[in-house]
Amino acid sequence: MRFRYAMVCSSNQNRSMEAHFLLKRQGLDVASYGTGSHVKLPGPSAREPNVYDFGTPYKQMFDELRRKDPELYKRNGILQMLKRNLNVKLAPQRWQDNAGDGVFDVVMTFEEKVFDSVLEDLNNREQSLMKTILVMNLEVKDNHEEAAIGGRLALELCQEIEGNETWEDTIDDIVAGFEKQQRRKLVYSISFY
Amino acid sequence: MAAATARTQALSLLAAANNHGDLAVKLSSLRQVKEILLSLDPSLSAEIFPYLTELHSSREILVRKSLLEIIEEVGLRMMDHSYALVTVLLVLARDEDPIVAKKAVSVGTAFYCSILEEMAMQFHHRGKVDRWVGELWTWMVKFKDVVFSTALEPGSVGVKVLALKFMETFILLFTPDASDPENFSNEGSRQMFNISWLAGGHPILNSVTLMSEANRTFGILQDLVQSAGRLPGALTVAVVSCLAVVARKRPVHYNTVLSVLLDFHPNLVTVKGCHAASVQYSIRTALLGFLRCTSSPMIESRDKLLRALRAMNASDVADQAVRQVDKLIRNNERFARENWSGKSNQAISHPNSWDLSKKRKMSQGEDDTINGEAAPKRLRHNTNMHLTPQVKISDSPHGPVSINGISPANHPSDSEPTPVEQMVSMIGALLAEGDRGAASLDILISQLHPDMLADIVITSMKHLPSSPPTLTTSLATPADIVDSMRSPTLQPQVPFDPTLPAGLSVSDVPSLNSAVADPRRDPRRDPRRIDPRRSNSSVAPTSLPVSEGKEPIPVQMDISSLPSDPLSVPAVTAGDSGSVHPTTIEHSQNKVVGSSVIRLIDQPDCREDLLTAPSERVYPSKGKSSLDVPLSPCRDDRGIRETKFSGSETKCRDDLASIPDFDQHSPLESGPDFDLQPPAASDATAEEESYRELASVPSYVELTTEQSKTVGKLALERIIESNRHVCGFDCNKIRMPLIARLIAKIGAGNDVVAILREHISVDHREFKGHELVLHVLYHLHSMANLDTDETSSYSAVYENFLITVARSFLDALPASDKSFSRLFGEAPHLPDSAIKLLDELCSTRHDPTGREISDSERVTQGLGAVWSLILVRPNERKEFLAIALNCSVHSEEDIRAKAIRLVTNKLYHLTYTSEHVEKFATDMLLTAVNSEADLSQTGFIAEGIKTEAKSQITSTSDSPSSRTSDTHSQQGLQTSRDASVLSFAEAQRLISLFFALCKKKPSLLRLVFEVYGKAPKTVIQAFHRHIPILIRELGSSYKELLHIISDPPKGSENLLTLVLQILTQELAPSSDLITTVKHLYETKLKDVSILIPLLSSLSKDEVLPIFPPLLNLPPEKFQLALAHILQGSAHTGPALTPAEVLIAIHDVVPEKNGPPLKKITDACSACFEQRTVFTQQVLAKALGQMVDRTPLPLLFMRTVIQAIDAFPTLVDVVMEILSKLVSRQIWRLPKLWPGFLKCVSQTQPHSFPVLLELPMPQLESIMKKFPDLRPSLTAYANQPAIRASLPNSALSVLGLENGQDSRSQMHPSDAASSIHGAALT
Repeated sequence: MRFRYAMVCSSNQNRSMEAHFLLKRQGLDVASYGTGSHVKLPGPSAREPNVYDFGTPYKQMFDELRRKDPELYKRNGILQMLKRNLNVKLAPQRWQDNAGDGVFDVVMTFEEKVFDSVLEDLNNREQSLMKTILVMNLEVKDNHEEAAIGGRLALELCQEIEGNETWEDTIDDIVAGFEKQQRRKLVYSISFY
Repeated sequence: MAAATARTQALSLLAAANNHGDLAVKLSSLRQVKEILLSLDPSLSAEIFPYLTELHSSREILVRKSLLEIIEEVGLRMMDHSYALVTVLLVLARDEDPIVAKKAVSVGTAFYCSILEEMAMQFHHRGKVDRWVGELWTWMVKFKDVVFSTALEPGSVGVKVLALKFMETFILLFTPDASDPENFSNEGSRQMFNISWLAGGHPILNSVTLMSEANRTFGILQDLVQSAGRLPGALTVAVVSCLAVVARKRPVHYNTVLSVLLDFHPNLVTVKGCHAASVQYSIRTALLGFLRCTSSPMIESRDKLLRALRAMNASDVADQAVRQVDKLIRNNERFARENWSGKSNQAISHPNSWDLSKKRKMSQGEDDTINGEAAPKRLRHNTNMHLTPQVKISDSPHGPVSINGISPANHPSDSEPTPVEQMVSMIGALLAEGDRGAASLDILISQLHPDMLADIVITSMKHLPSSPPTLTTSLATPADIVDSMRSPTLQPQVPFDPTLPAGLSVSDVPSLNSAVADPRRDPRRDPRRIDPRRSNSSVAPTSLPVSEGKEPIPVQMDISSLPSDPLSVPAVTAGDSGSVHPTTIEHSQNKVVGSSVIRLIDQPDCREDLLTAPSERVYPSKGKSSLDVPLSPCRDDRGIRETKFSGSETKCRDDLASIPDFDQHSPLESGPDFDLQPPAASDATAEEESYRELASVPSYVELTTEQSKTVGKLALERIIESNRHVCGFDCNKIRMPLIARLIAKIGAGNDVVAILREHISVDHREFKGHELVLHVLYHLHSMANLDTDETSSYSAVYENFLITVARSFLDALPASDKSFSRLFGEAPHLPDSAIKLLDELCSTRHDPTGREISDSERVTQGLGAVWSLILVRPNERKEFLAIALNCSVHSEEDIRAKAIRLVTNKLYHLTYTSEHVEKFATDMLLTAVNSEADLSQTGFIAEGIKTEAKSQITSTSDSPSSRTSDTHSQQGLQTSRDASVLSFAEAQRLISLFFALCKKKPSLLRLVFEVYGKAPKTVIQAFHRHIPILIRELGSSYKELLHIISDPPKGSENLLTLVLQILTQELAPSSDLITTVKHLYETKLKDVSILIPLLSSLSKDEVLPIFPPLLNLPPEKFQLALAHILQGSAHTGPALTPAEVLIAIHDVVPEKNGPPLKKITDACSACFEQRTVFTQQVLAKALGQMVDRTPLPLLFMRTVIQAIDAFPTLVDVVMEILSKLVSRQIWRLPKLWPGFLKCVSQTQPHSFPVLLELPMPQLESIMKKFPDLRPSLTAYANQPAIRASLPNSALSVLGLENGQDSRSQMHPSDAASSIHGAALT
């Protein structure tokens, strides 16, 4: 079954983009979003993050940070990440502002807060299409290493879901199986379009 | 013609779709058919529909799915012809393929809604319904039945989930939506049908039936949740999600849904195919969603939600959601205010056409940064809907106008700025910075001395226009506005403004010190204030007398004791707003605005509204002749209020209603003033009077008590109301005394507290409510103290108020909230009823009527309160202590445990309570102990404690705690009489506290030892339950314990043994303990069993002397002792090796005082039983050592025989021993000789060599005694090798002198078999 997937994290930079990248490479129909209010990237210190609006192209961020402090941003992997991102899509997108992107079958989130935000947003939309949407949360720490692992797990999970005609009948078993195999917590919810 | 071609084409395409072998061709044909159908006239398309519907039986899933897509797209467009298509939906909704079935359900739902809407619309517009719609509807009803049944019957979860969603839609459609009845006529946005459209009746749709069906469906969903244990997880999640939507969209169902969700605790772990965590999370999501809603039932249940979410470890998220909602509400309120005031700081700092709607986005954007949510979407669910007015407002060009209003003008005064003027300009500068500046301004002003502030205000007033404004187009010159506000009777359209008079009356209260300040300030203020107005309008001059008339007012105000002069501040305010006028010629406008903001912050309650109104009036009047001009400012203001607070609407109505009432009594004056300041009603009258007729004597209106109460209540409501509007400022200084006095005045009944309640509990966390309550309490208390004549009335009011507030805290706030204990802690005085309440809170567990069962959190809360009260309220300490102590012997274990923890950990450490606690605990212990011994005495003691407790608690006869304790004692007596023995639980109840105290003070343990002997069995059981825990906590080295051990009271031996056992169980006993116990054994207590626990730590020299008494113990105790001895301690190793033990046993000589022989043999047997300890080697070693002893131990031969029996392989060792015995002339020891013989006989033929070693007489006697030995022995001796070594005498005894070879031949085999036989035994 060809499902349409969305990967969602806070800033649509690291975790969701890693997963987006992997799923896209495997030929799955995927998009990615962030639910935060802004796109935040680490800056020279914890108190000085680089803040962008959603919609700012990755290329622009890449150029800007490379101009600012190429050493720093190369060292902390931000430039590499942005480079990867700009090859995946143009700019970070905010989940809440892109309801017009159409109907997804499966949404993966990588943080409980994001999960809550997505569910809340879906609940606040007008639900008239009579179309189910599966939202799953897999906790992934926001760093490059964990994002790589999280992305791989998301891919495995989506491929397993892809193997089913309808996910509703099997989702409980898929989730339980995943938890058992990977020893990671996974939570899902069902919402409607 | 073209149509005909198209038709033919479509039919051939359909044939292809039906019959072609290639799926791709089928699908592409279908796509083309769809295009054709859409392009054709509906009636023509309809002709093709029957052919199209044939496809529903196609075997291809994708074809069926495509068919549904066509139906969706085409059918909805030409619904009047879609009859044939709809039937397909029914069939396909039951399709075996879940994808097709899902699609059918979703398409069907769309049809369902559209047809419903069509029917309602047709009837609405034309008064009748077309026949085709009716027919379609009958199909839709069938469709509904089909979908409902799929939801409940087994099948694909995916389809069922959608069916559930359909049920949700069904409920939403047919449950009246109270929030927006206007939607029917509002066709601008596509709105879902709602049953409320059918309010006027409908020929086909029966709204009553539909509504009841919707309710039934709602019930089905509820049932599904409750049967979640049997459902797949996905289904449960979907049901929960659907219910949440229903609850959010139809508040009627909210409470039901909430309770269903809160009660949802299925045991999901066991269910296969159900991911429990996700199901739980769906509940959490639903609750969080409720928390984010702003409609009233959800706000009301907020505490419940928060509690539930906390239990799910979601308190962070929940708190965040609450903050976010609060902020949203506040933002909207503030925004509404700012818009109406038209002079928001932004407008000043961004003079160029600042778009307010943009600002709205901004402010919500800020919100977003915090919560990461889509604010506009949330707002959609905000049923308060105060956005609408805001949006409208934002369209009106207030910004530019206000900017014009502020535009700098030339001002002549260029003199050196005074400090005050500098301050004014500084404030102006701050204001120019916008929000940021406002914050600093807030701080600045809060630090200013009131006098300074007043000076600033006055100074800023210098900039009032000296000539009347040039505006002639409008009524609304500032002065007019002021006048209209001041004398509402003059302008009949204004009179009911609820806020304005509040501003009037409250505004001056802050200057309680103004009694002094006023005379000084007034002269300065008056001329400035009055001047412009006087020249402004004809009405103005009246204000002068007013301000003069102010002086007598405070004198007359004694009734309310409110030192208010209501007129001066409005005047100032009016001046401010007047100065905003473009014609102002002074400094910068910033200063002027600054001054008004000062006001705003300083006395923010309603002043703001007051300010708002006039200034706002200025803009339209000057900017352009807008339509609003004729509206009075006050009305506008009230308009805002009504939109802002859905709840306040009713209140406004109340206000209106109250006015005629009031008018009856005081026809002379206008409603609002009176309403607001009822205690000072006469003053208001005076003002009003003086207003119109300059020097007239104020008249008074006598109100009955009832009336004044009503009026007071209304006033109270309004003050609270106004407070809510303007929260965030430190405005309580004024309000609190006012409320306090009002409450004192009208008495604090439940109704009054009900008014205050919400306010108090909402605000309590931010200390404001608390401050207010305390203020009221202190006021009432002081009144009660002062008023000696009528003590009862004020103290009753005080008591009533305190109790009601406390109860409301308990009802409304979670148990973790500290408000309750703070209230009691800081209240000036706690009446008996308060203590009663506290006692109930702590210990009322099972109410006889089953009415209230306090949960354990409440008990914790109550006990926490008791603890803090004991600390801070020395006067009532004893009563609180009694509560705590009574709880510590409460029959509920839970309560008892909590109370005991409190008593032992906290109270017992306090010097002033410890003695009491100890006494109580001791008494309880004795009660338990004596319960059996002497019934009457028990009763006596218990009663004694109770009466004592009673006297502590309070002198009031029916105090609850004494009642409780009475019931306790009665219960106690009852049980003891009935069973004549205390139950175990009862014993536990009575002694737990004492044992808990022992932990803190081990010397108390002595009492336990003392009473142990006479305690009844159950109590001893209870003791035994407690002792191990206690002893382990104390540790063995504890001096007190050693002390008790060294001198145990009579009858406590068992307890002592138990204690020693516990002490030595895990750790090696300390040397002190060993010494103590040994000493005890040597001196007082001759019972060796007390030493048993210590044996493992004793040395060999210490153990050996006590071996005889140990042997004398009962077998099981000896076994234990043996184990201890052999076990030894980790450091020293065992006291005795097993061999040594065996020897020690043999060394015991049965004497008069020692153990009898039987005990010793038993001990030996006990050793032999432990074959793993007393192994072959051990025995060999022990026997080898013993055989050398002189004298030989009495039981030696017995042991040898036992050894060979137990370990036949010992035979060689035994033979050695026997041989040694021979050499020791065993035959000379008559007690051992028979044993020797027996052993020899048993061990033949191995014993033959030993036998042959015996001297002849002994050998001969053996031969005689055991004649059957002879043949085999002879045979053995006859062997050539042996025979050669034997002396002749021996041979002769055996009769072997002459040849008996023949016989001897056969004997080796015998010998072999004998050996064999021995080996087997």
